[in-house]
Amino acid sequence: MARDERIAELEEKARRIRAHVVRIAGMSDCHTGGSLSIADMLAGLYFHTLRVDPGLPGWEGRDYFILSKGHCVPALDAALAMRGFFPEDALTTHLQLDSIISGHACARVTPGIDVSTGSLGHGLSIGVGLALGVRMDGAANRVFVMIGDGELQEGSNWEAAMAGAHHKLEGLVAIVDRNMYQTGPTEEMMALEPLADKWRAFGWATRVIDGHDMAQIVETLDALPFEKGRPSAIVSRTEKGHGVSMSIHQHMNRFDEAQTATMLAELGQGGGEGGRN
Amino acid sequence: MGEILSRVHANNLVRWAADKPNAVVFSADLTGSTEVDLFRDAYPGRFFSFGVAEQNMLSFAGGMAREGFLPLVHTFGVFIYRRAYDQVAMSVAYPNLPVRMFGFLPGVTTPGGATHQAIEDVALMRSLPNMTVLDCGDATDVETVLDAIETIPGPVYVRMLRGEVPRLFAAAEPLRVGRSRLVHAPASGPADLAVFSSGICTEEAIRAVRAMADRGLAIHHRHVSTLKPFDDPAILAAAVEARCGVITMENHVVVGGLGSAVAETLAEAGVGKKLVRIGLADTFAHGASKAYLMKEYGLDAAALIRRAEGLLGRTLNIGEADLAAVRIEPVHSMAKAEAL
Repeated sequence: MARDERIAELEEKARRIRAHVVRIAGMSDCHTGGSLSIADMLAGLYFHTLRVDPGLPGWEGRDYFILSKGHCVPALDAALAMRGFFPEDALTTHLQLDSIISGHACARVTPGIDVSTGSLGHGLSIGVGLALGVRMDGAANRVFVMIGDGELQEGSNWEAAMAGAHHKLEGLVAIVDRNMYQTGPTEEMMALEPLADKWRAFGWATRVIDGHDMAQIVETLDALPFEKGRPSAIVSRTEKGHGVSMSIHQHMNRFDEAQTATMLAELGQGGGEGGRN
Repeated sequence: MGEILSRVHANNLVRWAADKPNAVVFSADLTGSTEVDLFRDAYPGRFFSFGVAEQNMLSFAGGMAREGFLPLVHTFGVFIYRRAYDQVAMSVAYPNLPVRMFGFLPGVTTPGGATHQAIEDVALMRSLPNMTVLDCGDATDVETVLDAIETIPGPVYVRMLRGEVPRLFAAAEPLRVGRSRLVHAPASGPADLAVFSSGICTEEAIRAVRAMADRGLAIHHRHVSTLKPFDDPAILAAAVEARCGVITMENHVVVGGLGSAVAETLAEAGVGKKLVRIGLADTFAHGASKAYLMKEYGLDAAALIRRAEGLLGRTLNIGEADLAAVRIEPVHSMAKAEAL
């Protein structure tokens, strides 16, 4: 397949992830903003990069993906369902009894999720431990950890960053969803800049990309690991709520029926059966 | 149901802090979620945003308290005692500094699941030397707790309620540290059962106790807002009088909270009453509505009836409809004759 076609296909996956997030917000409270900002990266990861087997979520050769910003699980659930880990119909059961999807990432109920998250600042440390264990086992699984930018205010992340570089964990990748917002503007609440310089100073091979440019996402993921003997960090510059006008800079939304339809139309994903993969 | 109030702490904090220039409010990116947005807007110079960084926030509070400020730390309970317990212990409790910690989302009051539900906070905070531990159960508790703890020289952890909160106790009867509230007493004579409830379980207990009293049971029910120190003589006295036994009811695991505190009190006094502890039975909870979780984990009015039936050895024939029919008005504990 030509590269341009490949990129276009991944962009369509990202739109469908966004449409699922909008539909979830049409049914229940949903952390829309931070879910929508990671949609492109998740499309790149799950439909281009990650070595996973939807029929065998526990396959021991799989790449690990940890969503440390666990409240943004609606986008991950959408990607997992579209990738075939479970039926997309399950996405209509958010916050309902016996649902296999959950308000925070839950490994206990959701096929394809390895690590339960929702308390911020755990994912990177878990990822460091996993990556070290993988190397000690002589295995080749890669470990991807997606972290929110606001989440980086938790000091535990920087302990993990030190440890990842100390152990030269080449198979470890930290992806920072740099959407500039938490419940308010991150740089006003507790500034993180210069962020890429911080990762470099901690010993990580670091690239800054436009997290909504699929060509850049693919090129960057294809270039992993960025340097021999170092963990890789991707500062993915994004917009909180990207692609859905009512979610721009919003932490949470609950859409009524009309709003849901309007937002789906914005994504070119209108209609009851639209967005099915 | 009696009166339902909205954003009680948000409004009360602004009123309370007006004449207290040394009071400073800390938030770790949960400003709206812990109802300190009004304080932030009213006194921006006394509001500090930490970002998502609780460890720094708690030790920072210890530092400011040393300079004579009164830090009022607001976040979800789990992020105080799970995330920053060492900082709470060594930067705040050990030097016995006047830091007030407001832990929101106690127990099953959030659909956020295990990561957000503070289910063992009372156990941890109660075991920490110098710490005072309170659990708010209604709007009157919430709007009077700041005054009640004002003179405590050391740290205080308060389980706090947000959003819509019912008023179960008369507004003119403030929370008093170390004193439980009389909710219901037998019309005459000794009680069959003593019921001690805390937090949001008290509303459920009121419902169940009214229904059981209608069936002729003599019940002494007290609402316990102070979990440490745990030295209210009325609790021991009520337990001693209860002929068939004692039931505790808390929005917390049964280990280390109200039930444990009552057990310790009874054992140390040599009182050999049967004790039933209602609470989360050594389990994490999942995410769902408060009402659903209270039913699923046996923290609701129906659960209290079942456990009372077990203690009494007989059936009371009280159905969901009977419980739903109970109308709750604010309780005036001073208007009732103490049963002791």
